[in-house]
Amino acid sequence: MSGEAAVFARGLTRRFGDFTAVASLDLDVMPGEIFGFLGANGAGKTTAIRMLCGLLPPSGGEARVAGCRVGRDTAALKRRIGYMSQRFSLYEDLTVLENLEFFGGVYGLGRAELAARADELLPRLGLDAERGRLTGSLPLGYKQRLALGCALAHRPRVLFLDEPTGGVDPVARRGFWDLIYEQAAAGVTVFVTTHYMDEAEYCGRVSIMVQGGIVALDTPSGLKARTGGADMQDVFLRLVDA
Amino acid sequence: MRALRCLVRKEFKQLRRDTALLRVVFALPIFQLLVLSYALNNDLRNVRVATLDEDRTALSRAVLDAFPASDVFVPGPAARDGDELDSLLRAGACDLAVRVPAGFERDALAGRAPSLGLDVDGTNSSLAGRGAGYAGAIVMREAARFAAAQAGAGVPAPRVEAVVRFLYNPELESRLFMVPGVIVMLVTIISALATGMAVVREKELGTLDQVLVTPLTPLQYVVGKTLPFGLIALADLALATAFAHLWFHVPLLGSPWVLLLGVLAYLLVTLGLGLLASAASNTQQQAMFTMWFFLVFAIMLSGFFFPVDNMPEWARWLTRINPMRYFMDIVRGVLLRGAGLADLRGELLTLLGMGAAAFGGAVLAFRREGARG
Repeated sequence: MSGEAAVFARGLTRRFGDFTAVASLDLDVMPGEIFGFLGANGAGKTTAIRMLCGLLPPSGGEARVAGCRVGRDTAALKRRIGYMSQRFSLYEDLTVLENLEFFGGVYGLGRAELAARADELLPRLGLDAERGRLTGSLPLGYKQRLALGCALAHRPRVLFLDEPTGGVDPVARRGFWDLIYEQAAAGVTVFVTTHYMDEAEYCGRVSIMVQGGIVALDTPSGLKARTGGADMQDVFLRLVDA
Repeated sequence: MRALRCLVRKEFKQLRRDTALLRVVFALPIFQLLVLSYALNNDLRNVRVATLDEDRTALSRAVLDAFPASDVFVPGPAARDGDELDSLLRAGACDLAVRVPAGFERDALAGRAPSLGLDVDGTNSSLAGRGAGYAGAIVMREAARFAAAQAGAGVPAPRVEAVVRFLYNPELESRLFMVPGVIVMLVTIISALATGMAVVREKELGTLDQVLVTPLTPLQYVVGKTLPFGLIALADLALATAFAHLWFHVPLLGSPWVLLLGVLAYLLVTLGLGLLASAASNTQQQAMFTMWFFLVFAIMLSGFFFPVDNMPEWARWLTRINPMRYFMDIVRGVLLRGAGLADLRGELLTLLGMGAAAFGGAVLAFRREGARG
């Protein structure tokens, strides 16, 4: 592998009392890669992402995200990443544009920069006609595209998406993934969790987490070959049930 | 009917699992009932008397010593001159100022009916009236006793007069006492409750997480979140004070700048406490009840309705950690007595200290919040 990994972890661990949520995670995600971070509910995915985003200090091991040490260079780290949580979390009583301007603004974008960024992002997100609408009145699929936009406003190098497409129809999910591809093509590293196995097929590489540790990490075709699964759904069930 | 029973049973099950709420709903009211019932009363007690003895005779000493000997009055500071006596009353260091003029005993013996000055802080009108009556009775009684002791045959009973002045509220209107109290309560509730609610709402909606992942520091978050509510509370104070002045004719004897300084220090405390309550709560309901519990205590132990002087010693100690009590003293002092910076220095410094602690605590709480699981 050439160059520095965008997301790098060695032995990354998080304990809550006696419970080990994440056990000695090793990761090397390259710049521009779409990395699928899979696992059953409660396997520790969200805890791992929260550590990598600087929301939760690790109990052990080390990690670097976009060149910043996790748990050390937290301020710089936060500037270089975007995060979209599994729970929709924008201000419903602000308009589409106001949400975008707020989240861009707290990253230090100036007024002219924000306006330019909104003109660039909103059409691409299919939200240009909705810029004056209150976010709370939008359908879920639109809200998720806006959340992605807010996570992208400050041009992060690494994008963490925690189940970004939960609860929307297949057409909306397909559209959302087109946006993810665009970002990866532009060099943004995408670190994504999902429970939709068709989405796992879209990832460059996929890891599967069971009880706090990674049990498999390869391209989707590599995983299928190794486990003899017909599709990712099959692969997932074989690895998680094993 | 079955459906209704089902719904009621479900509500009780959920309540039983919200232990934080249960504590507030059951344990705290008992606690409040106990503490407040013993602490609060409107009896005439512990009226602080400051004295100025310009006569220094047997009669003047007898009169002045009779005050602390009664169960209504307690000794306050002794003044060296008339100016000091006035400033003690203005600063709220005493409730009653007794001044025995030079020549008092001589004039009394000569039958010239000298007058003795009783200056009463009239801000709390009901206590002031009763206190003045009681003080006048003491003066008369001591004069009569003195006369009896002097009574060789044929000496006429010396006559004295007590000249009562109700300062700061000469007509003893209870409104002048209550309106500033209501203003203090408004500022407290608006600033503390609104901030607490706004932050817990962000927790409930999940937007707090989204904000914590940005480069905003805990200090920036806390300041940004409280500044709007602080400004609203300031506007409310200005509005309420203007209204009190124009509508209720509550005077504004002191400097508005001292009032502003006081409210700024006080807002640090209430906004900080609102944030701390929200950091300790996960739902708006919990935050509401926590704030409600503290607000009832703060209001009752602030001297709003019941004078702090009347409380038992342990309750008076509690008022010393009650920020609202200091702010109440500042607002009433500035509006009604024209108290200035020098008179209120202790209250202002205490509030600033409390504000720094509460706000600092809130910043720390949100630093931890950022690192929560």
